[in-house]
Amino acid sequence: MFIGISGYNHESAVALINNEGILIDYCKEESLSRIKGDKSFPKRALSKIIKKNHIKKDLISHIVFYEKPLTAFLTPLKTASSYLPKSLSFISHQLRNFDNSSISCFTDLAKFAPGLEKKLSYIDHHLAHTLTALPYSRKQKDLCSIVVDGFGDRSTASISYIKDMHDIKELWSSDYPHSLGLFYSSITDFLGFNVNEGEYKVMGLSSFGNSNSKLAKIVFNLIKWDDVKNNIVVNLDYFSYHISISDSFSKELIKLLGEPRNPFKKLQPGDKDFQKFADIARGAQDITNVILSKIFSYAYRITNSNSFLFSGGVALNSAALNTLADLNFTKDIILPPSPGDSGAAIGSALYGFIKSYPTNLSIKKPSLFPTAFSIDDEKDKVKKIINESFSIISENKFESLKLCSELIHKGKVIGTVISNSETGPRALGNRSLICDGMNLKSVNYLNTVIKNRSPFRPTAPAMKRITAEKYYEIKSELYQSYFSMTATCKCRDPKANNFPTTHIDGTARIQIVEDESILGQLLDILHPSGVDILANSSLNLSGDPTCFDLIDGLMFCSISPLEYLLTDLGLIKKLA
Amino acid sequence: MREEKIIEILHETLHAEHGSALEMLATSKNATKSSHVNGYFHHAKDEYNHSKTFQSLLAKRANRLPPDIARSYRFSSIGLLKKGYVSKKGFLIETMKLKDFIAYVYTNELLAKDSFSKILKLLEINSGDYIKVSDIMTDELRHHGMAKEYFLRYYPTLQPWQLKCYKLREIIKNKTRIIYYKNIKFLDKVFNPIYIFLSFFAALLLNHLNVKYFHRTNANLMNISSRSMF
Ligand SMILES: [Fe+2]
Ligand SMILES: [Fe+2]
Ligand SMILES: [Fe+2]
Repeated sequence: MFIGISGYNHESAVALINNEGILIDYCKEESLSRIKGDKSFPKRALSKIIKKNHIKKDLISHIVFYEKPLTAFLTPLKTASSYLPKSLSFISHQLRNFDNSSISCFTDLAKFAPGLEKKLSYIDHHLAHTLTALPYSRKQKDLCSIVVDGFGDRSTASISYIKDMHDIKELWSSDYPHSLGLFYSSITDFLGFNVNEGEYKVMGLSSFGNSNSKLAKIVFNLIKWDDVKNNIVVNLDYFSYHISISDSFSKELIKLLGEPRNPFKKLQPGDKDFQKFADIARGAQDITNVILSKIFSYAYRITNSNSFLFSGGVALNSAALNTLADLNFTKDIILPPSPGDSGAAIGSALYGFIKSYPTNLSIKKPSLFPTAFSIDDEKDKVKKIINESFSIISENKFESLKLCSELIHKGKVIGTVISNSETGPRALGNRSLICDGMNLKSVNYLNTVIKNRSPFRPTAPAMKRITAEKYYEIKSELYQSYFSMTATCKCRDPKANNFPTTHIDGTARIQIVEDESILGQLLDILHPSGVDILANSSLNLSGDPTCFDLIDGLMFCSISPLEYLLTDLGLIKKLA
Repeated sequence: MREEKIIEILHETLHAEHGSALEMLATSKNATKSSHVNGYFHHAKDEYNHSKTFQSLLAKRANRLPPDIARSYRFSSIGLLKKGYVSKKGFLIETMKLKDFIAYVYTNELLAKDSFSKILKLLEINSGDYIKVSDIMTDELRHHGMAKEYFLRYYPTLQPWQLKCYKLREIIKNKTRIIYYKNIKFLDKVFNPIYIFLSFFAALLLNHLNVKYFHRTNANLMNISSRSMF
């Protein structure tokens, strides 16, 4: 057995790979602690995985951590040391918080289960990303891996060539602090959204902006690709993420763009300032598309490969993927369902497996729902909650699905807590809120009433392949991504432009569902009534992690207007 | 000035309420008896609703602040760990004995009620916000009653005076916590020049650090020693 761990910088997670190289469990710490973005040592996730899979200590061959802790600790310090005296408090803070850095993984593991720390090893951070993406690709040799994130353990973007899974050569990297990911996060911060959480909002907002506006053009020029040196260059006069703990952008940026957004002010199309902030978001999105295109082109030039793995936090930017697929050399772009740091626990565990089986040359594609969950653990516990505040409408699985379909057809919203859970960040049906994707009223109710989200953020549509091909421009280069909702696509049929799940810019982040999945089964039942598209959003309130177990689901129902929950116990309705 | 003080209190209370919601949810999940699971579930639900109320109270006031000040009052649940509202060691139920935990809930609900009466004094009497906070106070009193009943049912040999002792202990603990944080802040101020001074020398050393060693261009990443932290 091989365990992979990520944490300390972004959401922490644990992955478990068995001796056949199959991902058998995966868990984010935030799913259990209910603290969104929890980056502490994943003790609960580790306990859960060890208990659930009955793992004895001696069965664990390797525990692999997703970065080189000392490199990750020293790189920002080294950079900050050349910005004295401005960076003094930053340096002081970093040094004093030495014990909160990933260097503590060793001692935290020793405290968790003495002896386990002896099995701990550390791999290059971007290698962990690459190995996370690799099993999702059918082609597992002779391809190129591109990683772009905020900051790994030393670089902020890299290109590697995968001869086979034992020979992964890094060919290019971009040095910290010049980072596309940190640039985008700083703009996220300027726009009043929480960093590492609000980047999606910037992406959604950018569709309302105008690329030719003055502000978009200014933001566009804050970061560039140097065609001579082949490098990312951030104009650091306007940013301070590398020298300050609290501020990601400098006073110069405020002089340039005006006041940042007050995070408490509602942001609605038509409001004063809405256009200003949308234009800023537009500029950030435009330059992100350009720089990613430059990195892909350079990667093609130096590797001659037209198949790409793409991972790292910036790969979550689903809006940029279309631009990349349109590059004339691209054949395939493969993204893991969780390309960010939490997903990198999977690649770390795989490293242990690959090293232990030096002759093995292929890894099975992991399930889209790898987080083990069984209702048996909760069935008895929740009895009284359900008896007192809910009623089970049907315990029969098929009947529950039929009833759900009828409710969806009538315009109702249904929550799901079914079987194993997805890795996130996208809910793919097992921890989702769903409704009729062609019913404007239902989609608006789901988005703005149940989830309390800003109206400028689109909700994603889920459908069968045949429906997707009818309404949308499906790109063969991105085909895999549609199953994990990691790419957006343009509407093909003009009718689709009016679907409530279509964004203002005429795109949608579609999900193609497999026949045997819950959404697939629901769509089969719904088809005769003309509902071929479901709106699908994660089951969580904004700022909270996606629900994991049934108690979370029942809690969501209790504190939101949601009435129905489809569960392993059947279809449940909240009592009035 | 008064307005900013209110905002600061609302911001802290929001953390406290959200922290309680997560504590109670964890307790509900940790319980084995279905009735206990249900009891803590409903307590958690109340606390989530309190958290929501304080989020909206905070938003209503903070959206009038200048952006740079408003930004410092943003709420995210990760702040609970940073500010110590949820311990990095784990939830109370994961780190305390059950008996101590129940005593903790019992006394803290009472203390929560006290702190809400202080908030009420800052709000305009009978305004919408005033009524919302009074409703929360009623909830807290109910929680306190439930915890007391529960405590006496499962530990019947305990006498009311013992509960009073628990309360006193919690008050002292809370006070020392506040004094501790104030002291830390104070010591921080005192020692900051020394830290900065030391950091300056650290920075000079760091300047000589050769990061070329970190470069991996043309290296097979699979063959870098996985024992090394570099
Ligand atoms: Fe990363
Ligand atoms: Fe409360
Ligand atoms: Fe309470």
